[in-house]
Amino acid sequence: MRPVGLYVERRSPLHALDPVSKLVYATCFALVPFVAGDLRVTAIVLCVNLSLLVLGRVLRQGLLALAGVGFFLGTLFLVQGMVYPGNATPVVRVGPLVLYQEGLAYALWLTARFLNLTLAAFVLLFTTRPADLVEELVHAGLPPRTGYVLLSVLQIIPSMAARISVIQDAQRSRGMETEGSLWVRLRAFLPVLGPLVISSLVAMQERALALEVRGFGAPGPRTSYRLPWRHRFAWPVRLLAVTALIGALAWRIMR
Amino acid sequence: MATGTHSQVSIWATRWTTLTLVLIPVGIAVNFVGKYVAQALRLPLWLDSIGTVLTAFIAGPWVGALTGALNNIIYGLTVDPVSFWYFITSVGIGLVAGVMARLGFIRSTARAVVAGLVVALVATVVSFPINIYLWGGQTGNVWGDALFAALTLRGVPLWLASFLDELVVDLPDKVLTVLLAFGLFRALPRRLLSQFQLGEGDAQPTA
Repeated sequence: MRPVGLYVERRSPLHALDPVSKLVYATCFALVPFVAGDLRVTAIVLCVNLSLLVLGRVLRQGLLALAGVGFFLGTLFLVQGMVYPGNATPVVRVGPLVLYQEGLAYALWLTARFLNLTLAAFVLLFTTRPADLVEELVHAGLPPRTGYVLLSVLQIIPSMAARISVIQDAQRSRGMETEGSLWVRLRAFLPVLGPLVISSLVAMQERALALEVRGFGAPGPRTSYRLPWRHRFAWPVRLLAVTALIGALAWRIMR
Repeated sequence: MATGTHSQVSIWATRWTTLTLVLIPVGIAVNFVGKYVAQALRLPLWLDSIGTVLTAFIAGPWVGALTGALNNIIYGLTVDPVSFWYFITSVGIGLVAGVMARLGFIRSTARAVVAGLVVALVATVVSFPINIYLWGGQTGNVWGDALFAALTLRGVPLWLASFLDELVVDLPDKVLTVLLAFGLFRALPRRLLSQFQLGEGDAQPTA
């Protein structure tokens, strides 16, 4: 297991932009279709997100990451085409199955909305180190303790994942089967998870002590090792994103 | 174990210490690892809330709920933005698992199965409206969606078909999740659990 997250190291204008502005952008642009409720508006923001992935030089990674959901989107068209409550106009007949125009249109709408949500998030996720995002959120007002919890998740997971393979090897050398029928694989789950969780929880106690010794629970304001991330386009980007969301709402009301 | 012998008030009571705060990331990591191992062993289940249930067992419903919430936030911010929508489901799982534990449902395996059924039911009730809004009622699980299509074609109302679609996946998944968390919980050292215990009146077995 690699470090948690989708971040790809690159040099691009998007990588240089501060994480909080990208988060504001991603949130607003992901929500535009939900607020506007219109396929054409969705198509436009979808194109904006695609061009931004090009700008961030991560389009290929983004599209590859989407490949996994292709199958589900296929079943969405199939099932909604058959069973959508508003179905009236048959389009395709395959044996006993009939696909209707209304259901397919509905599936297209759900797909477009989902793709836009994912790609908007990708603009943030592929160009931002998760640790940078959390640190900037703490600068922006997130309680430091919450920030600590989020950051330590990012640190614990890779170390736990590294321990999994050690435990798996140890159990295999003692004769545990990890291949075979569903039941065999299911039974292999606990001997791996058990030692891992228990050793992690014991390590947790030491971490709590180490933190308290360093004044983790102490009252008063916190200082930061790093300066807040400044970018001259930070506020224009945030303003633009919020304007787009309000524009989508206005579109919904005026129409 | 003295779990579940508390008065009505202490079902929701929580000890917020540094240890509690450090427990949460471990719980979230266990969620990730459960999901990862389930995928590695090619199991047809998610098993991605073992840590949420375990922290709820150890430290009560609020800590379970917070673990669930932060789990979906961190997952949404790093890997899969759709998990934000299922934020409430994770909070529900943590709350219910914690309440069931405090009510004494983790004193035996048979009771833990009942707790698992309740957690599955709550997860389903919270998730299926989100499924209807986002996916027209589907879950993305092949068996569940096949059932959904078959039921809807036979005239079963959409909400009911969607509910059952989610339930057939959640029932085995959450019962197994709760049983795994129960097994892990029982294996934990008493010394560790006692630091999360509430009140002084609890009869602690002397180690």
